[in-house]
Amino acid sequence: MPEDELLEEILAELQEINSKLDRLLTGKKEMVFDPSKKGNIADSLDIITLLSLPDHLRTTATTLLEIGPATAEEVAELTSKERAVESSYLNQLVRMEHVNKYREGRKVYFQINER
Amino acid sequence: MTFALAVHSSKGGTGKTCIAVNLAGAYALEGKNVCLLDIDIRGPSLFSIFKPEALFWVNDMLSGKRGIKDTIHDVSEEFGTKGKFFIGCSNPDISEIREIVRKDRNWQSSALKNLISAKKELDKKNIDILIFDTSPGVEYESINAVAASDMVLIVHNSSIACNSCTEQIIGGIYTPLKKHCVIIDNMCHDNTLQPSEEKRFGIDVIARIPCMCDVATRNDEILTLTERDHIFSQNIYSIKDRIERHRL
Ligand SMILES: Nc1ncnc2c1ncn2[C@@H]1O[C@H](COP(=O)(O)OP(=O)(O)OP(=O)(O)O)[C@@H](O)[C@H]1O
Ligand SMILES: [Mg+2]
Repeated sequence: MPEDELLEEILAELQEINSKLDRLLTGKKEMVFDPSKKGNIADSLDIITLLSLPDHLRTTATTLLEIGPATAEEVAELTSKERAVESSYLNQLVRMEHVNKYREGRKVYFQINER
Repeated sequence: MTFALAVHSSKGGTGKTCIAVNLAGAYALEGKNVCLLDIDIRGPSLFSIFKPEALFWVNDMLSGKRGIKDTIHDVSEEFGTKGKFFIGCSNPDISEIREIVRKDRNWQSSALKNLISAKKELDKKNIDILIFDTSPGVEYESINAVAASDMVLIVHNSSIACNSCTEQIIGGIYTPLKKHCVIIDNMCHDNTLQPSEEKRFGIDVIARIPCMCDVATRNDEILTLTERDHIFSQNIYSIKDRIERHRL
């Protein structure tokens, strides 16, 4: 197969994957954030679910559980990681619907989901 | 800061309650402010030892219906301890226990938050040592207590099942939660050829308490308070010292 044909094929596959991902993500968003639909609120993070998280996210979640609502900076101070790293972990937890974030003034706070 | 100990085991009947109660007594007698909580809400024990005139129970604190202050009782005068001695019992009423069994993950998640807040409240009340008596194995309440604790006392007996289950729980629960653990071998039979170990599964074995009928027949009293020289009491006081050394 000529090279550019191959590239085209890969590109097409990637686009397909991308649109699948998009559908997944938006589908999920609708499920979670539409308050008019009953029974679709995300579960709160329980200890057994927390245990099944990968190491780095578990540390972040445990820390947040102990200190309550906090900024990425406050979490990073306790886990001795970079603020940017902790911020990315916290946002991953938000996407997984274990954590939610809200703004207060100029600061962004994270907290464990509560039902 | 209040130091919280979770007394846990992989299998039942290893002596957790007995050790938790006597350890709480030992700390209080020597002047520490202690709070002992019955987290075994599916199979409560402490009410039968302390017979509290309770209005509210540990159940109410975990549900968020009451704060920790309404849940605990001061028994220091009754037992003549130098430090404050508080206990919180869980409700033995079967309808309450049936309610607990029906609870879902969301309830357990908020129970953990309430437990962590309770620890912070107790810190404000100058409680030095908080002891959780838990139910054996992987029960939600017990793992919540482990998560809220600073150290886990693994109470072990020498059965093969206990051994392999403990190894699993260490790998799957204590270690991922980064908990500092120590092992207590209880009900040891000295006629076995098993050598006493310093470490098992990489964890310090801090005591080997012999099996003594006395401990079982006198379980309506707190031996560390009524008979300090009893071999069982001596073991508990030595466990207390070992824990203190581990904290340093
Ligand atoms: N070293 C010992 N020698 C003899 N008997 C003991 C010893 N330690 C505890 N016991 C007795 O063993 C029985 C079980 O102890 P206990 O209730 O403390 O176990 P437990 O681990 O709390 O049980 P559960 O898992 O049901 O909560 C009690 O009667 C207790 O008095
Ligand atoms: Mg017990």
